[in-house]
Amino acid sequence: MDNLQIGRHISGQFNEDLERVINNVMHMGGLVEKQLTDALASVEQANVELAKQVLTNDYQVNAYEVSIDDECTRIIAKRQPAAGDLRLIMAVVKTIADLERIGDEAQKIAKVALESFSSSQQDLLVNLDNLGRRVLEFLQASLDAFTRMDCDAAIKIHQMDDKINREYEALMRQLMTYMMEDPRSIPQVMTVIWSARALERIGDRCQNICEYIIYFVKGKVVRHTTAEDMKNL
Amino acid sequence: MNKWFRSGSPWIWLSAGGVSISLISVLGLLWLIASRGLSYFWPSELYQFDLTDQHGAKSVVIGEIYDREQIPVSQLAHLNLALDPEQEILERLLIKTGNRELVSLDFRWLLSHNIQKTQTPNDLVVIERRTNGNFYGFIESVVVDGKEVDESKLSELLARVDNFQDQIDDLQKSDIGAINYQLERLRLKTRKYQLENKLTAELQAQIDSEIATLNQDYALLEQELMGYREQISRDHIVMRAMDGQLVTINFEYILKVTFNNQLSVIEKTALFFSHIGSFLIDDPREANTEGGVFPAIFGTVLMVLLMTVIVSPFGVIAAIYLHEYAGKNAFTKLLRIAVINLAGVPSIVYGVFGLGFFVYMVGGSLDQLFYSENLPSPTFGTPGVLWSALTLAILTLPVVIVSTEEGLSRIPSEMRHGSLALGATKAETLWRIILPIASPAIMTGIILAIARAAGEVAPLMLVGVVKMAPNLPLDGNFPFLHLDRKFMHLGFHIYDVGFQSPNVEAARPLVFATALLLVSIIVALNMTAVSIRNKLRERYKMLEH
Amino acid sequence: MISISPKALAPGSDTSFKKKLDLTNLTPDQVALDINKLNLFYGKKQALNNITMSIPKGQVTAFIGPSGCGKSTLLRSINRMNDLVDDCHITGEINLHGNNIYDKHVDVAELRRKVGMVFQRPNPFPKTIYENVVYGLRIMGENNRRKLDEAAEQSLRSAALWNEVKDRLHESALGLSGGQQQRLVIARAIAIQPEVLLLDEPTSALDPISTLTIEELINDLKKQFTVVIVTHNMQQAARVSDQTAFMYMGDLIEYSDTNTLFTTPLKKKTEDYITGRYG
Repeated sequence: MDNLQIGRHISGQFNEDLERVINNVMHMGGLVEKQLTDALASVEQANVELAKQVLTNDYQVNAYEVSIDDECTRIIAKRQPAAGDLRLIMAVVKTIADLERIGDEAQKIAKVALESFSSSQQDLLVNLDNLGRRVLEFLQASLDAFTRMDCDAAIKIHQMDDKINREYEALMRQLMTYMMEDPRSIPQVMTVIWSARALERIGDRCQNICEYIIYFVKGKVVRHTTAEDMKNL
Repeated sequence: MNKWFRSGSPWIWLSAGGVSISLISVLGLLWLIASRGLSYFWPSELYQFDLTDQHGAKSVVIGEIYDREQIPVSQLAHLNLALDPEQEILERLLIKTGNRELVSLDFRWLLSHNIQKTQTPNDLVVIERRTNGNFYGFIESVVVDGKEVDESKLSELLARVDNFQDQIDDLQKSDIGAINYQLERLRLKTRKYQLENKLTAELQAQIDSEIATLNQDYALLEQELMGYREQISRDHIVMRAMDGQLVTINFEYILKVTFNNQLSVIEKTALFFSHIGSFLIDDPREANTEGGVFPAIFGTVLMVLLMTVIVSPFGVIAAIYLHEYAGKNAFTKLLRIAVINLAGVPSIVYGVFGLGFFVYMVGGSLDQLFYSENLPSPTFGTPGVLWSALTLAILTLPVVIVSTEEGLSRIPSEMRHGSLALGATKAETLWRIILPIASPAIMTGIILAIARAAGEVAPLMLVGVVKMAPNLPLDGNFPFLHLDRKFMHLGFHIYDVGFQSPNVEAARPLVFATALLLVSIIVALNMTAVSIRNKLRERYKMLEH
Repeated sequence: MISISPKALAPGSDTSFKKKLDLTNLTPDQVALDINKLNLFYGKKQALNNITMSIPKGQVTAFIGPSGCGKSTLLRSINRMNDLVDDCHITGEINLHGNNIYDKHVDVAELRRKVGMVFQRPNPFPKTIYENVVYGLRIMGENNRRKLDEAAEQSLRSAALWNEVKDRLHESALGLSGGQQQRLVIARAIAIQPEVLLLDEPTSALDPISTLTIEELINDLKKQFTVVIVTHNMQQAARVSDQTAFMYMGDLIEYSDTNTLFTTPLKKKTEDYITGRYG
């Protein structure tokens, strides 16, 4: 929270508004994190109940997004934030959009748990589980960096997406092999591919969140730049 | 009670009381002056009193009732009057009896105790005369060209005389006056040439011929004048005074004949206004105790206007320098304090200063330099209207400076800056923006100056006012405005008439009338200035920020 | 349609689509005013510390900062209005066309014709609208009625006031509303065709609608003049200016293009000020 310096505004009302928004983003992040954890757990344990819970809980994430969006609009209209405050609001607005998408992806993953898998296909899910854990870690790290508005951490964890991408590609190759070996398993494999794809997308969105953190702290737009340039920040 | 005090109403009552007292004193003053002054112009009843004194001697007194007073009997004890011992107070009347050529005193006290009979005979007349004051009596006969005529011809005859008198005045003042003036100038010219040793025979001849022409004209005019004089003194009126004595009064000396007791209220009112009119436009007579005050009005107004013309630019320029250009240091502060304190110096001191500095030093030097032909009789080296105006200008300078400065400092600096930021220099800003906006304040200063100057008498007695000025400072002879001339002033006129005249009793109403006039003139001058100021204010009304 | 080449999004490139000036390195024909090591003292108290900046031509430059930071003082020193303050003295230079305006030979009145100024409170002279507008020209000795008429109309049009006052040119200017008065004052300033127009908090005494009208006007004026504006209203600076200078306690803290200054200021003091934090 040090980087935010929210508490130093002359207007106490403004401080409260910003704090409320940040807190709501944290809550939303926690919720999304829990959704993803639950979704992954439901797949791993083939827990249909848990999966259904994830599906029903998504509305909460959506509700958070709408309310935070609203709050941000209100702040812009009333306070005309500038510089750091403006960047914070912009970062928040974009972050919650990404978080909402992450929630949607978690929903997709949970749908996998509703499918029935034969025991021979269980190891497919193990690989998925590995990727899932890594993505979850990434999400947690991103949210953590967001909480502290820690630019260095953001730059560091920004790189994690590369690993995820590589792992995703490896998983894809593996799944291709499965499909070739056993054409009957194609529908199940496709389901797994979809969820792997979802996980990869979550990784991208976590990367976006890191970029927003960097934008907020440094005021630099690092989207669509190479890792080299980011290091030079 | 305590609550009442805390509510603040005592202070409201106190201030209201203060205002009422001021208002009452102002109104009281005006009322007193107006009633005493204006009654002078009202044609009063003429009375005939039949008297019997304690010795039984009978006499008749004719005149106007001038005043009444109650006196205790004890004061009259030495007169050995046969009085009712019960009576403690007696009434005494002051009667204006006029007829100065018959009796030394034209006022007389009568004890009402002695009055047997009071009548207001219709045929009793009062004659206003050029000399010797009023004549009260009965018309015995009117004689035209040695033949007696009817009384009804009187007004016709008076008009004729009036007409001639006007022509005589015209002749004397303009034509003969102009010739005299030119003769005087020629004399001075000769003297000047003599002093400068430039007088040649040729010049002398030229001047002589001019003088001869003028003298010729003069002779002609004099002849004309003599003709009028003869015409005017053709007729006379025979009057019977109160003691039965017959008095012949030539029409030449008669201004007005009125049967006061025959007049209706309307006629009296008309007469009242005609009296006021002649008071305003006539010259004074009989050592200022009768006639009008025109020269004094003229002198007062002219002197005040001259003073205004002098003091305004100087005051404004001084204020501008003090406020705009002088550095804000101790010296400026000292200067400002000095200016403010100047306003507190007694006016007679200014009079002494004016006499010493303007009249003797400046005027004396001017005479030496430019009017040496006139010496030893001084031109400017003697009190005159210019020196009076200058002295009063100095007297009122602080007022103008202070209020102009006040006005300048009230102008918001944005005005100045706005003009300067458009590339105007300081002088241009002053001239085009600051002065117009400050003009109402300048006018206020001038109003105050006029009010102060018009009422000053003391310094003027030293530097130019006289009891009786032969000529107005403004006339038809070049250069028209004669700044070296002495002048008459209403304030001084009041003092002179009231306290220096041989006939204090007769002059008393005149004092009030003149005072009323002076007040009116000052009010009129002020009103003019105030209306100009209000117009300016309207024009330069600043937005109230 | 805005097409973005991939190159435009290359690292370090500016993402705003407007051409940005490099304020530290302007070419001479881009500079309207060059302030160089300007120090200003009121008596012993220093009000401006070593200010160095270049104000670009044909743009709006805003000075912002807390009260008493010296922004108005800096503005006033550009047309030497500070000369009116006793015991004010200046070191350093301000160059207009490469000539130092604090040079001994400079005619101040002449300078002020080139550098016009509009003040915080509308200050029309108590004259007619027409006489207000042509005041500067009359001072310059212009008396040709036709020329004055032309100039008056043109300036009033430029100040977006012509339509409102054309029927009452010869009525008192004091009858106008506050916003109209301020536009009249601007018209008066531009009637003498200055090169630079200084606006000292021109809208602080006006209502929001009049303020917007003036802001719109400022945007039009920069086509003809270089405009320098001092404002307390940061949003106003953000709206109307191309460059913004942030001043604090007599120092020039940050001077950059407005877009950058209001989104990503470099200095913490600037950030604190524009986001409304305790400094």
